[in-house]
Amino acid sequence: MKSHDKGSLLTCCLAAALGLVLAASPVLAADKAVKIGNVEPLSGPSASVGVQGKQAREMAVEEINAAGGIKSLGGAKLELVYADSKSDPTVGVTETERLINTEKVNLMTGCWNSAVTYPATQVAERYGIPFVVPVAVRDTITERGFKNVFRVAAKDSWWVRDQFRFLKDMQEETGTKLKTIAFVFENGDWGTGFAEKWRELAKKDGYEVVLDEPYPSTATDLTPVVTKLKSANPDIVMLVSNAADAILLTNTMAEMQVKPKVVLASGGGHADPKFLENTGDTAYGIFDEVEWNTDVNKPGAKETNAKFKKKYGYDLTGESVDAYASMYVIADALERAASTDPAKVREALASTKLSTGPAMIVSYDGVEFDKDGQNKNAGIVIVQVAKIDGKPQRVTVWPKSARRAGYTPVFPANK
Amino acid sequence: MSRKQLDTSLLGLAALIAFGLPLVVTSPTYLQILILLFFYAYLTTSWNLVGGFAGVLPLGHSVFVGIGAYTSTILTLQYGVSPWIGMLVGGLLAALVGVIIGLPTFRLRGAYFCLCTIAFAEGIRVMVENIDSLGPLKINGPRGLLIPLKEPSFWHYQFMSKLPYYYIILTLLILVLALTWFISRSKIGYYLAAGGEEPEAATALGVNVANCKLLAMALSCFFTALAGTFYAQLMLYFYPKGLMGLDLSFEIAFIALIGGRGTIAGPVIGALVLRPLNEFTRIYLSDMLPGLHLVIFGLILILVMLYKPQGLTAPLAAAYDKLARKITRAPNAKGAAA
Repeated sequence: MKSHDKGSLLTCCLAAALGLVLAASPVLAADKAVKIGNVEPLSGPSASVGVQGKQAREMAVEEINAAGGIKSLGGAKLELVYADSKSDPTVGVTETERLINTEKVNLMTGCWNSAVTYPATQVAERYGIPFVVPVAVRDTITERGFKNVFRVAAKDSWWVRDQFRFLKDMQEETGTKLKTIAFVFENGDWGTGFAEKWRELAKKDGYEVVLDEPYPSTATDLTPVVTKLKSANPDIVMLVSNAADAILLTNTMAEMQVKPKVVLASGGGHADPKFLENTGDTAYGIFDEVEWNTDVNKPGAKETNAKFKKKYGYDLTGESVDAYASMYVIADALERAASTDPAKVREALASTKLSTGPAMIVSYDGVEFDKDGQNKNAGIVIVQVAKIDGKPQRVTVWPKSARRAGYTPVFPANK
Repeated sequence: MSRKQLDTSLLGLAALIAFGLPLVVTSPTYLQILILLFFYAYLTTSWNLVGGFAGVLPLGHSVFVGIGAYTSTILTLQYGVSPWIGMLVGGLLAALVGVIIGLPTFRLRGAYFCLCTIAFAEGIRVMVENIDSLGPLKINGPRGLLIPLKEPSFWHYQFMSKLPYYYIILTLLILVLALTWFISRSKIGYYLAAGGEEPEAATALGVNVANCKLLAMALSCFFTALAGTFYAQLMLYFYPKGLMGLDLSFEIAFIALIGGRGTIAGPVIGALVLRPLNEFTRIYLSDMLPGLHLVIFGLILILVMLYKPQGLTAPLAAAYDKLARKITRAPNAKGAAA
């Protein structure tokens, strides 16, 4: 027994020592860098958008560091620490805890997926670490009374709100009066959520709803839906579609000569590059809603996009612009906080009033958070598919301040 | 020094190490890894009650984790019931559901039983994903449930530190291990083993195989559901795909098969091997190849099944037996004198 006991004791000590080493090793670098933890989907189904966000952040951080870092902190550099969420909320939560506890990050950002952001922000709230959310649209992320969560982009319900604002503004601008409206949407979580808010706002704005039609987005034939649309003959058709069904709907509508005055889509499938490739001329005139478009009429947007495209080989997207701008929001807050103390950074973020600088390539006019941490000014742009130089292009038309110079929207589209 | 003394003192030492580990491991991240290790060891031990001893292979146990998590969380969120009480309610509910599934399916043999449990678990998951509210109960479909932060306290089952979670899951693990030990040495344990290997022979000898299996199932489901509540309170968030998906069910079965089905130490050994592997491949290799840890799992499973089809516990137990015999034999006289 004795000899064995010694052996076990030794093993125990070894295990203990190993534990100590494991626990202590990552706490070394505590120099003048400000560590920003990023939880992003770097693998799995949303990996491509995760990588886009990562590259946009890297470009912003390079610019900020090259311009002298955070001056009030003695030129401290920003340092990005990444973790992969795999689009899995549980992994996102675990990784957020690891970044906060082991990597000792000063701030957090991420996570693109609403499903991941929702619980991950709660972890940060618990530890009192400020969490800047560039994009993740679920409304409730900033509706829980949290002190440390700040969202730069618009939330879900604002997408619908802006669709109706657009309709109103354009009717005023062009002196048209549209009365009837039809809702056609995929029957998943996303489409039904939009439709619920559409009904509310349509009632408020005095439209007559003539068709309310959910359809399965896996459908291979949408003729029945389009037939209903034809007989309802609405002025406005509102759509929520994934890629394949967006193409099918648009082509079927053209075949059956269904020509509503305004077709307004909600991003997603209509924003997919495949949509324009597969619809040809049938897509002209369609309005679509996106967070950002390469032609937005904002100072610096063109140059930043050109720089990004040169560096990574593709255009900036709405999500990556928000990620890019968020880094400037963070830098601005750190500059004013003159400290990396989470409480002070939080205060500085809460009093953010950013309306100039490189971040302002966003489609809206500034960043200013309400008491729940939602950017009050965040908004969406509406684009129209138009034939420019013989090719279909997405042209920004709304808000008017961001409209492509020299373009007159075709509204109503099918006269 | 007898064999029994050696066994007991080693077991005591293991418990002591387990209880003392947080003195050494203070980083919440590593503590979390240990918590999840015990969590999986606990889940697999619970599974083992039916999957190991009753000789059937259920592959849908995640559904009981889900029942536990949803029951306690809905009771807390909507009715303000402490998760501790919700945990027991969830356990009882899971036991009931387990018996209801067991009644028709225990007649099925081999793969058919296995497929039934998969189908049942997936069916429930899809239902939960498509139901927003069930009468007055808000289930929230695929979005899952988030438990809001509350004043950290035992009653709320929420703590700032990882330490209480560590001790709760450790206690649960020891509890269910003790139960397994007790059952394996009881009449029911022998009935189960007999019914699992030779159901006809056992029935012919007057053993009520079906009832024994149902009892094992009920116990297994009850304890599995407790883990669901624990998980919900640890993460403060869960959603159907993560909690009730087949991934979790399969991981439990993996751990059991690699560790050794139907042995007491098997689930713990399996978890000790597989969990750290899972965590470290995720942290350090996730940039390289997504899903790599699953490939590694698969490889280990194939190797173990090829060379040690009884799992890792059998050869380890044999080695320990040899060692123990040497120790207890040589200084026997001395030990008796002392």
